[in-house]
Amino acid sequence: MSPAPSTYAGVADVVAVLVLLTEFAMLRAPLLRSQVRLYAFQSLVVTVLAVVIAATRHIDELYVLAVLSFVLKVVLVPGLVLRLLRDADVDLAGSSVLGVPSMIMIAIGVSAFGIFTVGSLHVHSNALPTTALAVAAAVVLVAFVLIILRADVVSQAIGFFSLENGVSVASLVVAAGLPLVVEVAFLFDLLVAVVVFGVIMRVHHGRSQTLSTEDLDRLKG
Amino acid sequence: MLKSVEVVLLGTSVVAPQDVQVLQVMTILGGAPLVSGFVSHVEGRLQGRRGPRILQPYYDLAKLFRKETVVTEESSWVFLAGPVVAFGCYLIVPLLIPVLTTYGLPLGYMGDILGGAFILALAGFAVALAATESGAPYAQLGGSRAMTFGALIEPTILFVVFAVALITSTDLPYALAATVRSSSSEMVRPGHVLAGFAFFLVVLVDTGRIPVETHSGTLEFGMIDEARTLEHSGAPLALLKWGSAMKQLILYTILINVFVAPWGLAASGRPGSVVLAIPSLLGKAMVLGCVFAVIDNLFSKLRLFKITEFIAAAFLLAVLAVLVFYAGGG
Repeated sequence: MSPAPSTYAGVADVVAVLVLLTEFAMLRAPLLRSQVRLYAFQSLVVTVLAVVIAATRHIDELYVLAVLSFVLKVVLVPGLVLRLLRDADVDLAGSSVLGVPSMIMIAIGVSAFGIFTVGSLHVHSNALPTTALAVAAAVVLVAFVLIILRADVVSQAIGFFSLENGVSVASLVVAAGLPLVVEVAFLFDLLVAVVVFGVIMRVHHGRSQTLSTEDLDRLKG
Repeated sequence: MLKSVEVVLLGTSVVAPQDVQVLQVMTILGGAPLVSGFVSHVEGRLQGRRGPRILQPYYDLAKLFRKETVVTEESSWVFLAGPVVAFGCYLIVPLLIPVLTTYGLPLGYMGDILGGAFILALAGFAVALAATESGAPYAQLGGSRAMTFGALIEPTILFVVFAVALITSTDLPYALAATVRSSSSEMVRPGHVLAGFAFFLVVLVDTGRIPVETHSGTLEFGMIDEARTLEHSGAPLALLKWGSAMKQLILYTILINVFVAPWGLAASGRPGSVVLAIPSLLGKAMVLGCVFAVIDNLFSKLRLFKITEFIAAAFLLAVLAVLVFYAGGG
């Protein structure tokens, strides 16, 4: 019989698992808009996690980080992408390489790999239970699956942004008191990515009237 | 049974465990139509209708038992035996699960959660066999679909059992209920939350509710469980309807008394607490039924080939429940 983790650790783990579950939901979301909204929700969960750690472990810098990430990842980035989508006037994602159940099965396998490998490292942390680190690794890997298997620009952008969410959770576990400058540098990186992906979306849609990347392979040879 | 009633009236000594066990079966048997009547009443209210009377299922059953039974010339004895076998299975399962008591009853250790799941699967198999024996296309379609989706949901049930086994080192439902009661940190541990939610989705699939199946309406193409009973009439149909109400209450009972809220059960054999446990269970089941009625009105039915996506989601939750244990934080 395995003893239950403390209530704090249990809730923190559930929240981390919620981040992973939204990642899976993005994988299956047929509407591009709902994918962006799921990303906003996932960022909100990460922000809440940061606030909880700041409050319980008395790390004041995390409040600043939480505010920044709320403004940027919950409001600004999803708002921008949604606006781009409205201009592009495309609702449904293009056909993905595999059906939804097969994608979910692959992602389950990949996240099992992530959880087992990182879980066996036994990294100790004061801020969050180690399970959250394993789950964060799974988030990053599932984000890769999302980028690889879904053949449209928006999914790839959202996959990249949500990968950053996974990294945020991991950094909360490993170094909750990470110097603020480093965290802000992360967020700045995200901002650059948003600009790049925004340009890609506009250019790609302007040239081919679609957001799907499937016909891009015609450029070969 | 007579003795236990006597004891209840006198209110002196404890009720014998065997009598409590019989009472568990009687509670499921007698309470199931009440719960499903209540759920369809609430559903009607939510849709702006007056809804059927809460006691309507009892009247329906009484009517069906009085009607004559019609059997096609082609079908064999299996057609009539199927409903009886299924009904028998539904009478056995309440012996194995904590319906009224927190402590294990003599026959409760006869089978674990998997044993209960096997008996429920046997019941589903008997009904599907009877449906196939009818020779009617829609009944056969329902039987084959029910078997297909039953097989697809099986891995999820297995992983829920694995998660329970990791929490308690046993797979007895009584042990998990006791663990959940023991402290609040047991309620929020990720393994329990995920496994409980996965089981909730399993109940949704197994009771044939939206988003998997509409249980009201007559469109055969979307039917899964409902279509199996189309060719039966009279007493066998009554047994099937009663049986599916019992199955629903059994699954509700497992969800409530094992995973979500194992409170309000009798901790000892004192007559008062055993008797009080009956309305407590039915009340909790009705609250849970309201949740299902709300889900019914919020979502639309999935296309048949999209149901696998829903089942994949349930499977994901159950697998994650097991995985977080191995990450050290279940």
